[in-house]
Amino acid sequence: MKGYIGKILIVDLTTGIFEEQKVEDEVYENLLSGVGLGAYTLYKNIPKGADPLGPDNMLGFVSGLLTGTGSVMTGRWMVVCKSPLTGGWGDSNCGGTFSPAIKQCGYDGIFFKGISVFPVYLYVDNRGAELRDASYLWGKDAVETEDILEKENWNNKKPAIAVIGTSSEKKSLISGICNDRGRIAARSGVGAVMGSKRLKAVVLAGSKPIKCHDPKTVKKYSKEFSKKIKKTNMPQIMTGRMLPLMGKALTIPKNIIPIDGIVSASMMKKWGTGFGNTMGMYNGDDPIKNWAGSVVDYDKSYYNNVNPDKVLKREYKKYHCYSCVIGCGGVCDIKGIGNGEFTHTHKPEYETVNAFGALLMNKDLESIFYINELLNRAGMDSISAGNTIAYAIECYENGLITKDDTDGLELTWGNAEAIVELVKRMIARQGFGDVLADGVKVAVKKIGEETSKYAMHAGGQEPGMHDPRMDPALGVHYSADPTPGRHTVGAFGYYNYMHLWTKVSWVPKLKLSTPKKVEFEASDRNGIITMANSCIKQILDGSGGCLFAMISGVHNWKIFEWLNAATGWDKTPDEYMIIGKRMQTLRQMFNIREGINPIDFKIKDRIAGRPPLKEGPLKGKTLPIEGMIQKHWEHFGWNPETGVPTEETIEELGLDELLNN
Amino acid sequence: MEKKKPIINYKECMACGICVQACPFSCIDFVKINVNKDKKAYPELINNGRCTGCGICSKECPVEAIELR
Repeated sequence: MKGYIGKILIVDLTTGIFEEQKVEDEVYENLLSGVGLGAYTLYKNIPKGADPLGPDNMLGFVSGLLTGTGSVMTGRWMVVCKSPLTGGWGDSNCGGTFSPAIKQCGYDGIFFKGISVFPVYLYVDNRGAELRDASYLWGKDAVETEDILEKENWNNKKPAIAVIGTSSEKKSLISGICNDRGRIAARSGVGAVMGSKRLKAVVLAGSKPIKCHDPKTVKKYSKEFSKKIKKTNMPQIMTGRMLPLMGKALTIPKNIIPIDGIVSASMMKKWGTGFGNTMGMYNGDDPIKNWAGSVVDYDKSYYNNVNPDKVLKREYKKYHCYSCVIGCGGVCDIKGIGNGEFTHTHKPEYETVNAFGALLMNKDLESIFYINELLNRAGMDSISAGNTIAYAIECYENGLITKDDTDGLELTWGNAEAIVELVKRMIARQGFGDVLADGVKVAVKKIGEETSKYAMHAGGQEPGMHDPRMDPALGVHYSADPTPGRHTVGAFGYYNYMHLWTKVSWVPKLKLSTPKKVEFEASDRNGIITMANSCIKQILDGSGGCLFAMISGVHNWKIFEWLNAATGWDKTPDEYMIIGKRMQTLRQMFNIREGINPIDFKIKDRIAGRPPLKEGPLKGKTLPIEGMIQKHWEHFGWNPETGVPTEETIEELGLDELLNN
Repeated sequence: MEKKKPIINYKECMACGICVQACPFSCIDFVKINVNKDKKAYPELINNGRCTGCGICSKECPVEAIELR
């Protein structure tokens, strides 16, 4: 009764053999569950040098330690594997209802190895697990497949289903794994790994109870947080039109005055992540025109079209992931859009709107709704797809590719019709779409090295839609994390909202006097902050927590207190941060073992401000990226020059002993 | 004696769905829309006949918004 189950299931798809394994308490005490449990299992079981799309790679679906314990906003599940996109550690996380379902089947994680001869899906309920033929589902999209499997497998309990769409079947390296008809674990190319195993879906219908040490205390904190969220609302008079200016105003105190992160919940409740569609225009957060433009290019006549109020006009109900008290998601009516084949879609996230809006100079919101549903059904990552199309457009605009290469598509900035068509061709791997279907790094190899200057990525992973020239910590996390290109790991802004200094003894508190320029320094202060960001993110990914809860602040959303109450441990926040450091170090060790040179993950020069932009809010900004990465690694106890964890650090964290047991 | 059934207090309910997932017979689902004029889909007992009155939903609710009556 410690919140976790203490058991995993390993399914060999080649032989059809199932193996239930007990996991010792010390694994959870050292690495939590979720990504920590995943990293432990994969490090021990994947042979060095395994082909990411071959039988030796393992694919794990792991739940969070806090999922199902009565804590709120802790319902995220994680996929872990060796990434075919970066060649190193891969993980991706997602909301919906799948996380508790894993534990209700009696496991903290379900892992797959081998490759099935024909398409299969795994079915698990209280009685056990079985592999079933999925040949009749192969070729169907993620939503269709989920509809069919839900109908066929809804006996006592409505099953939770993780499924791949058609792009993962075709092993697109920018494909993910979907659940709840539009939530997607999209990053690291996890969908391609599932497709390579011919595993079409995982259907979970267990109803076993999830028990924890002290449910009463867990619930006490849940109630406190829920009350705060209920009271936190955006004033009625605040409309989407005010967001660009509000974004600009908020940036001024962002790094000099601590802001209570609970305010972010009011925006999430009203618009979902879509408030970012326009809020980042004048502060420079929203990347524009393949990271080379600014609001001077994507001006009011453009960005007014993606005003989140316009998105809300189509939203007919809110959507909550399991255990979420904010409810940033929504379902939108899209009848009459595109070819008219879809009736509704999950509300497009900010990342999707920006990747297919400002990044491509596209102002056609209807096309973005349509693309959102196309990608959700195909299971393709909208961040990567948007970045890849931005690269192709810039190549076209500069004459490096022509209509002959694009099969007749006029790939100019903002040509919504051509963008939609290209998305379809990428999903189908048809013609020029096939060239782009594996992301920018592969596309450069196919089109030519001379196009590399337009390919924005970090170690093969296309970056999220937040600009490091506005918040340099993002640049460090994009570059120095074992899973590069992630906007969800940390930022100076997140650090401000999280108020970690109220719990953790060694992190710096923001002071009123902190001058803004300190952000752009390769200093120890910044190295400690980015290191702390990474540690808390790992704790989050071990617990199943949602980033948007984390951003509301650890003084509001009490992750440390929940972990102690759920497990019965008596750890301090400082001790939990060491767990985060251990998880991060283990993921980095995985990369080193696979031959990754960590500095190769450094974000492309353009995104670091080399050369700096000539106009707009980020005019003249350049990051001392190498120095900041070095400070980040140094504070992890890794070699600051190479990013390799030192033997002393590995020993100090007890990882050598843990992995050899 | 008639079995007790879950009654949801929508003033307290956060629509987090923990009850929906916890119910072993999927008797509760997000079907009550817009009850607080907020576009939220709130949970409601949909399968009265299958509800055994086990109380798991009430026990699991993080804000104690479900009462068995």
